[in-house]
Amino acid sequence: MSRFRISINKALISFLLIFIFSANNQVFAADGEALFKANCANCHKPDADYTGPALKGWSKRVPSPDWIYKWVANPAQMIASDAYAKSLFEKWKPTVMTAFSNLKKDEIDAILKYVDDYMPPASTAQAGTNGAPAGQSDNSLLFGILTLVMAIVAFILLQVNSNLRKLTDEKEGVYRTEPIPFYKNKTYIMTVILILFAVGGYYTISGAIGLGRMKNYQPEQPIYYSHKVHAGTNQISCLYCHGSAQDSKHAGIPSVNVCMNCHMAIKEYKGDPIVREDGTSVNGTEEIQKLYKYAGWNPDTKSYNPDNNGDGAPDGAQPISWVKIHNLPDHVYFNHSQHVKVGKQQCQTCHGNIQEMPEVYQFSTLSMGWCINCHRESKVDFYNKETGEGNKFYSIYEKFHKDLKDHKVDSITVEKIGGTECQKCHY
Amino acid sequence: MKKIATLSVLVLTMSAALVSCDSKREPGKIYMPDMAYSRAYETYAERDSSVFTMNQSEVGGSKIYYDNKPVLGTIQYTKTGELFPYTLPNDSNGYKMSAMVKNPLDSISEADLKEAGRLFNINCAICHGEKGAGNGPISTSGKIGGIANLTLDSYIKMADGTMFHSITYGKNNMGSYASQIDRKQRWMIIKYIRTLQPKPSVATDSTR
Repeated sequence: MSRFRISINKALISFLLIFIFSANNQVFAADGEALFKANCANCHKPDADYTGPALKGWSKRVPSPDWIYKWVANPAQMIASDAYAKSLFEKWKPTVMTAFSNLKKDEIDAILKYVDDYMPPASTAQAGTNGAPAGQSDNSLLFGILTLVMAIVAFILLQVNSNLRKLTDEKEGVYRTEPIPFYKNKTYIMTVILILFAVGGYYTISGAIGLGRMKNYQPEQPIYYSHKVHAGTNQISCLYCHGSAQDSKHAGIPSVNVCMNCHMAIKEYKGDPIVREDGTSVNGTEEIQKLYKYAGWNPDTKSYNPDNNGDGAPDGAQPISWVKIHNLPDHVYFNHSQHVKVGKQQCQTCHGNIQEMPEVYQFSTLSMGWCINCHRESKVDFYNKETGEGNKFYSIYEKFHKDLKDHKVDSITVEKIGGTECQKCHY
Repeated sequence: MKKIATLSVLVLTMSAALVSCDSKREPGKIYMPDMAYSRAYETYAERDSSVFTMNQSEVGGSKIYYDNKPVLGTIQYTKTGELFPYTLPNDSNGYKMSAMVKNPLDSISEADLKEAGRLFNINCAICHGEKGAGNGPISTSGKIGGIANLTLDSYIKMADGTMFHSITYGKNNMGSYASQIDRKQRWMIIKYIRTLQPKPSVATDSTR
């Protein structure tokens, strides 16, 4: 019995030891992972070439096992003295690896162990390829048809009713004049005309109001640029590309060099499939190729074309003629910086949820009523004389400061400072 | 009676005419084109190619050279005063020399630092991360490699001028930000990056 217990104890202890050892191992591997992510992952991937070469299988490539420590400590010196290091530099230039002299030998070992043991995570297959949300069906057509059917049924019933009455009247011997057919019946004609007038009038008025308003205007652009991918998925700030919205009247269309800030490195589109509204799919990589053509960039040599014709731009480069979507008439003055920087308005207030639009369309009517309404409701960043918060410009509005102090008003809207005066925007 | 019928037909045709031009790919019609479209040249408007040219060789004769760019060496006038142009060339020599350029902003006010942080978050944090640790959305999704972790030792030691040089001309995978951030803003952002970096225990180079 006791022997049996001892063997159990032994088994337990060895199990514990194995557990501790393996857990320890785990910590060691995780350490390597953490070190790799902190120091190497910006340029290296374990299993794929990136800014630098793939690290997996390094031991088969380097001339001696010690080589790697020397290289990590001082790559620049190795390039000058070592043949293999030089060949590496030739392949990956002009980028030279940063020296990591702060990494200790055991830390490098941990990283290398992590890299060699690295297994790509099982690819999470995209379940649904259809990125477009199920369209909400418009029921108005159905209701229209239903109404029409009901109207016809009602009309037939009315006719049947009058016929039946005629029959009963004849039976009872009541004499009635021959009824006039319905198309000559003034009541019917009048009703039809009134309905036509109402329907036609409605469409005329709404059509006339809509003249010059381009809500939902969604022109086709020279490059299928998806705001959903850039501002949504990749979370690029609107002001990264449209920075002049802060300092100028115009929100600004980014010049091609701003696109190239990222697309020098991002050559292909690997995200969720993009589908046009008519159902055809968009090849994101091809659209990036279009950008390269506009920029005069050669993705193979990773450089701009030389400027031989002397126009100050790479040969073959030309500006992209984007189609302007939001057009205010010339007789209205609108200034982006006034709204974005001073008024601190979000872009989405007027442009809608741009970060969810694959193709941008005009979200607001941009009508005068729409402007005025917002000016009536929006509060200005009024200067608070006690705390010093807010826009100091408003310190000159003595009366409002007095009213606020006397609790006559609780906030100052744009309208109060003259935001609905005609000549604020029309001059 | 007939009058009403004619009138209703008229109304119907009018409404049909107004409704029919409703394609979202077309800009739609407007009341008075001469009031809606500017006669003066607006930003991004196409210039009359019979009057203006962007090609130096066509200058002379009747054509006017205009290329949208400020004249070389001019300084933008702002209330706070724009800084002098940065003259070091975009080559390896210029990169080396940039370490000697001092940050012209000696101290930075709290409001300016806040503004610099805002600009950093818009223009830089997308790759370098809001804390400068090289882990912005573009970096963590693996779209662009080689993104600098600005909190590393090598960037703590890097001179302000070298940072300025890299922002101005770009470095490796990073493009030039000269068109997006003006000179003063660039120096302000560098001041902000310094606040993100951990304080070095040993004194670093004197160019700061």
